[in-house]
Amino acid sequence: SERPALRALIKVSLLKHEPTGKPIILEGVFVGGSAGKAEGKLMQYHPLSLCNTSEDERQESDFITIVKLEHRVPRCLPLLDKARMALDKGAQAVIFDVSDDTNAAAELRETDSLPRPVVLVEADDAEELMGLVNKNEEANVVIEIKMEPKWPHYD
Amino acid sequence: RQHKISGVSSGCQQGGCLTCSDYNGCLSCRPRLFMHLERIGMKQIGVCMTSCPPGFYGTRSPERNTCTKCRSECDSCFNRHFCTRCRAGFYLHLGKCQENCPEGHVRSDAQRECV
Amino acid sequence: RQGPAAPLCPSPCQCEEDGIFVMVDCSEMGLSSVPTGLSPLTTYLDLSMNNISEIQPRAFHRLHLLSELRISGNQLRYISGQALQGLHNLKVLMLQNNQLERLPDDAPWDLPNLLSLRLDANLLSKVPAEAFRGVRSLRHLWLDDNSLTEIPVMALDSLPSLQAMTLALNQITHIPDYAFTNLSALVVLHLHNNHIKSMDSKCFEGLLSLETLDLNYNDLQEFPVAIRTLSKLQELGFHNNNIKAIPERAFVGNPQLQTIHFYENPIQFVGKSAFQFLPKLHTLSLNGATQIQEFPDLKGTTSLEILTLTRAGLSALPLDLCEQLPRLRVLELSYNQIEDLPSFYHCSALQEIGLQHNQIRRIESSTFQQLSSLRSLDLSWNMIEWIHPDAFSLLHSLIKLDLTENRLSSVPVAGLGGLTHLKLRGNTELYEAFSPDHFPHMRVIEMPYAYQCCVYGSCDSYKPASQWDTEQSSTNEDLHKRTVAMYPIHADTHYDPDLEEFQLEIEESKLQASVQCTPTPGPFRPCESLLGSWLV
Repeated sequence: SERPALRALIKVSLLKHEPTGKPIILEGVFVGGSAGKAEGKLMQYHPLSLCNTSEDERQESDFITIVKLEHRVPRCLPLLDKARMALDKGAQAVIFDVSDDTNAAAELRETDSLPRPVVLVEADDAEELMGLVNKNEEANVVIEIKMEPKWPHYD
Repeated sequence: RQHKISGVSSGCQQGGCLTCSDYNGCLSCRPRLFMHLERIGMKQIGVCMTSCPPGFYGTRSPERNTCTKCRSECDSCFNRHFCTRCRAGFYLHLGKCQENCPEGHVRSDAQRECV
Repeated sequence: RQGPAAPLCPSPCQCEEDGIFVMVDCSEMGLSSVPTGLSPLTTYLDLSMNNISEIQPRAFHRLHLLSELRISGNQLRYISGQALQGLHNLKVLMLQNNQLERLPDDAPWDLPNLLSLRLDANLLSKVPAEAFRGVRSLRHLWLDDNSLTEIPVMALDSLPSLQAMTLALNQITHIPDYAFTNLSALVVLHLHNNHIKSMDSKCFEGLLSLETLDLNYNDLQEFPVAIRTLSKLQELGFHNNNIKAIPERAFVGNPQLQTIHFYENPIQFVGKSAFQFLPKLHTLSLNGATQIQEFPDLKGTTSLEILTLTRAGLSALPLDLCEQLPRLRVLELSYNQIEDLPSFYHCSALQEIGLQHNQIRRIESSTFQQLSSLRSLDLSWNMIEWIHPDAFSLLHSLIKLDLTENRLSSVPVAGLGGLTHLKLRGNTELYEAFSPDHFPHMRVIEMPYAYQCCVYGSCDSYKPASQWDTEQSSTNEDLHKRTVAMYPIHADTHYDPDLEEFQLEIEESKLQASVQCTPTPGPFRPCESLLGSWLV
């Protein structure tokens, strides 16, 4: 039987705003057994930067990688290897925007042994995240497991 | 002397792209151009150019031409192991950037070379 | 960057003053010719990515101080010697990504101080003998991605100072004797992605300084014995060729070699002494050389860190393997016919061992002793019947152990406390259900039978309730504490049984999520460990 994929809460706080500003709350889905907590600065990586030939681009502080996947970019590595490479490069977690790459979710469904969280986002949640990236709005991201109540609340 | 990156303008409108997207910039380049992944703050976009920016060298292959970073002590290089100009404080000799020159050579600060 | 208003800055270019000198950027401005009115104090001029198809004679004749000229990415078909007259101080000339079909022959370019010349990505089918007569100081030459069918031997004779050259991505088929005979200062030579089928035995004579030689992606039929004269060679690549054998003493002339890449060749035979006396070699990869029956003699190759020798015919390993290779970090010997293992005792730096798909039957106590850095051990697809109880006892760093498809009836757990991955599938005589206490860090475990996964709590709905409750009672207290620690609920909040059950379920899925045990028990693979019943 297929294990239910745990959902992720993605809390985004813009670094330029005062710390008391309410974080933007978005959602995603954890990949395989990678559910867990993570925090770091949001950092975009081009899909081609996670290939065997890519060089080692080290970041100073803790960061969370976000990659917008594009079906038009030939896959230089399987997604699982891309995720591992991003984590090996020091990412605290990896977020894949799969809005434009419908096969991605299937490719990553049954996976194990990911040392840190990998989350898939799409549609509005992805658009909001990538919107921040596009405007170069530096942001801190906290990823947590979303607690799904067992019995829906009846008034 | 920091030159403008020759042969490029950022984003998706620049001439070198073959395919591109708003978020990732160039996804592939027109034939014979080099794909460079440029970091601008938190963004990283693909940029297509005829020569890689300072501190990077170009590698051509039938499938794709890419820019790769030189060694840290090089301002410019021919490939990963062969520098063509050194960073300040290093001196070039036969493709190597070193802090000291081999016997029989002296350091030239103007050219950053062992002469 | 200054706007066009700066003095002597031709429109629409952008100029930047550098002391008394001027740097002019006219790139990507749709120009169809070289702008006039450039300052004689111009030291840098960028005309790249325009539509320039011709350079008027003497276009740069006043620019005696010009150091760098970029005309890449235009439509130039030919540049006469006259066009570049007066550039006495030019050091860098970039002409790549144009349509150059030929270079001047009778009146070549006169650039006495030129160091770097980029001619890559053009349409050159040959280089005239006199082409480089006026650039004798040249050090770096790019001729890759053109249509050359032969090495421009005569033209190269004019370049005694050349240090780096690429002729990659052309259609060169043969390298004749003495092709580079005057290039005594050449350090780097790229010839990859040509059609080189043959090389004369003295073709590399004269390359006294060569350190990097790249012959990858060609059509070489035989081992390039011509490398024998390259005494300074450090990096050699001839992967993706058609070479079938590596001869005895193949690298006898190259004691400085650090890396040799030759994968993707149909190599069948390797001389036993081929890789001897390479004291700086740190990686050796041989895959599919089926004619190798004996382990290569690696005498004098003492710095090897990564040795891959797969899909060959090895049936035994030298007893003194680790004495010869004390720095070995990765040993990959899968898909051979190895039966007995020596002691790897002296290979104290070993981190990864791959012995899958061999014919190993026993693991002695001394086999992997003292390998305190060993992280991954793959012994899958062998015939292992017996493992000494202490075989793994000192492997403190081991996190991955794969014993898939062997003949084990028991597995010693001493020393395996750090495992995150354990694979035992296919050991049909192994019935024991290992307690999770042996493996506190386990993440992925594969067992021969589903019931062996029940100890990992992955079969709550397939187990009679009574059996579940009794087993769980001892761990509820501990589970609650760990759940509260992970999901801080303020102690004073009203106690809500639904919420607690929900958190237990999260913890349950976390537990399941943290240890993935397969095969997962199911309706037809219940958790009763009654012999035979789960066989239904």
